[in-house]
Amino acid sequence: MNRHLLPEEIDQLLDGEVGFGTAPLKAHVRACAECRGELEAARVMVRQLEALPHLTPSPLFADRVMSCVQVFVPWHVALLDTVRGLVPRSSGARALAWAGLGSAAAVLLAISLWVVTRLDTVIFGADLALQRLRVAAVGAVSDVVASLFGDAAVQALRATGAAGILLSLVVILLTAALAAGALRAVATAGRRR
Amino acid sequence: MPLLQLSTLPDADVAALAKDGREAAFRELIRRYERPVFSLIYRMVRDREAAEDLAQETFVKVLNHIDRYRPEFKFSSWLFKIANNITIDHLRKRQLDTVSIDGSPHAATAAEAAATSLDLAARGETPLDELEARELGTAIERAIAGLRPEYRACIMLRHVEGRSYEEIAATLDLPLGTVKTYIHRARHELREALAHLKP
Repeated sequence: MNRHLLPEEIDQLLDGEVGFGTAPLKAHVRACAECRGELEAARVMVRQLEALPHLTPSPLFADRVMSCVQVFVPWHVALLDTVRGLVPRSSGARALAWAGLGSAAAVLLAISLWVVTRLDTVIFGADLALQRLRVAAVGAVSDVVASLFGDAAVQALRATGAAGILLSLVVILLTAALAAGALRAVATAGRRR
Repeated sequence: MPLLQLSTLPDADVAALAKDGREAAFRELIRRYERPVFSLIYRMVRDREAAEDLAQETFVKVLNHIDRYRPEFKFSSWLFKIANNITIDHLRKRQLDTVSIDGSPHAATAAEAAATSLDLAARGETPLDELEARELGTAIERAIAGLRPEYRACIMLRHVEGRSYEEIAATLDLPLGTVKTYIHRARHELREALAHLKP
């Protein structure tokens, strides 16, 4: 190479590029004092840049940032945290909790097995309970209707069956909604005045 | 998770914990990057108070939108990109891009340069000013101040933060060739500015 290095070529050497292209550049630097000086000056400048310290913001910087940051905890993380919070910290208490959970699971399993082996008894009992519940509910509704509209209304409902009850419920709900709407309108008009 | 353990995790994992709403993870990200981000901004705007405000704005923006962070990219690149954008916007608004303690780099005459220069040593009216003068008063800092903001960002990401050309291009949204040109020009200008210090 019979010329001095171009600035781009000094950059190549500064960046530590390797390959066939840089071999003649390196050879030239070894032979040419001027280019060696240029390269050394560039290296000194890079070393100065690399030695620049990181500057520190004020001590309360992180707190100031955090006061403007909205920390949002997703529901699944909150749920996991709650579950984790229920787990005892000491290993002894954890073992005790596991033992308790195991016992509860064993009891539940035993009950389930018993239910499966006596399925007919369970179905009979459930049917009986359901029937009693229905009778109690019908009695309560009949009492309410009788006290509000008289025994004639109860007789009419019994005669029309489920359709009559449904129709009555719709009428009652509509009346309640209309009454609420009217009350609200009256209250709004009062405030305007 | 204890803070001690958090400090050993890579950025992507800490960011994932921050996405889960862990305040300690937010603080860990601030702890890791408050100095690099503040340094970058401070050397760009050369005003401690403004640099703190801009660094705060950067972190608030990043942490409030942590759910938008994609782990396939480096967290620091995303952070520096936002810091750079905010700083460039600020410089545009304030038209500070040509202000230098040695006077405007575009000044044609010595008188023009003197008229646009800032004398940090003489300006020391407050402790903050004195701190600024001490922090940015070295020859290399003064030389950096004379660079265009785009050059400053590139040269600092390259040599202070040790980023590769490709990372700088991605961070600053610039073509790779432009980054190489900026760094080459910045080095050239810095060498010229520091030439008078040669023994």
